[in-house]
Amino acid sequence: MANLTSEQANRLSDDFFYLSMAIADFRYAHWESLTLEENKELSEMQGALLRCGEDILAFSTTLVMDEAAESLSKISSITEEIRGSVKTLSAIQKGLNTAAAFLILGVAIVKRDPMAIGNSIKDLFMTWKGNPE
Amino acid sequence: MKMLPATMRFCIYLFLLPFFCCFFSCVNLKTVSDFSATSLVSVNNFEQIDYTFSDHCIDRCEDEAIKKFEFQRALACSCDLYLAADSVTQVMFQAIGGYFHGLGSLAQNELTTYTTDAVVNSLTAAELGPLRIDENLAGAYAAVSNVMLRATTDLYRRRKIAAYIGEANEPMQVLLSSWQVIIRTNLKGELRFKKERLYAYYMDMKMNSTLQSDYEKGSAAGDYYRALREIQRQEKQMDLFAEGLGEIAKGHQVLYENRNKLSVKNLAVTMLGYSGQVKILVSEFNKLNQ
Repeated sequence: MANLTSEQANRLSDDFFYLSMAIADFRYAHWESLTLEENKELSEMQGALLRCGEDILAFSTTLVMDEAAESLSKISSITEEIRGSVKTLSAIQKGLNTAAAFLILGVAIVKRDPMAIGNSIKDLFMTWKGNPE
Repeated sequence: MKMLPATMRFCIYLFLLPFFCCFFSCVNLKTVSDFSATSLVSVNNFEQIDYTFSDHCIDRCEDEAIKKFEFQRALACSCDLYLAADSVTQVMFQAIGGYFHGLGSLAQNELTTYTTDAVVNSLTAAELGPLRIDENLAGAYAAVSNVMLRATTDLYRRRKIAAYIGEANEPMQVLLSSWQVIIRTNLKGELRFKKERLYAYYMDMKMNSTLQSDYEKGSAAGDYYRALREIQRQEKQMDLFAEGLGEIAKGHQVLYENRNKLSVKNLAVTMLGYSGQVKILVSEFNKLNQ
């Protein structure tokens, strides 16, 4: 048997709703002629139909998910790719800052200044690792 | 023709480059960036809809307990089906919102606005020893390289954006349409059942002649119409939100159809129409929350 689609489920939910509404209208139109027992039974049936219709609508939402699963997976993977591109472009600034830190380290090496070399290496490390994306 | 001095030529290039750069990139990317930002605001309004499938389940549970005049220390409701439905809407929200957030980040011009101050400062440092670079010259070269870098990265971004829009359009149309159905048909549909239950509650009260005084009857009618108005407000919220999704879908379709000619000025004008429509819907939605 073929699986129920979300559209079919929504139509079923509509049927339950209108049936429940018809029972309500019938009860109010024949209130005086219905026995207490009959009225109670119809009222319970009316409530049960409403509950069924609501449950079907919630269930139908999960069916939509099944139907859109492939699209969801595609969008998620495209979004990941976009994030990768954003990261690549953001890394260019990091590269520029690192180049500047390298230059300063070079100056320190040329000047044979151990303290400046130590500080420059620390700065270079901080520039590269300190501000992760 | 007499050749201009090298410094002057350099200055002219320096002056013209940003114009070329902006002409070929900024304007077009701004269209995508603005549309993504507006779409994201609209999508984020999902969190402002003050009704979920689980809320509906709990409301139903309470309504039934009230009708039966039933008291429990803690209301026990079985809402698994409704929790599953909510998780579907959450997945849609995350997927569509994530996409527009990413696209917007990639299209915003700040992403490729780089600063070369650190490089210039280190090049012109007094401690550089025998190597001396004039501060103005270093600044000018840095500015040129910045513009060139911007032009290259903007070209990269434009190519990438066109490719992403191309790949994403079909699944986005499916997801936006599915989400629209979930909000407009399923979630709003639950409210229709809530209205019917409310009607039955007050009608039974009336038919049973439970209420005696005119004051009690008036109060009950007032309560009914107040509750009905609140449900109608939530329905309106859902309609506006769903309509926004429809406009986003149309706008994305236009971007898709023009993805290889993003520089066309008419596209910016057309997209302004879609963004404007989404903004109007967002504004109407926000008014309902005030």
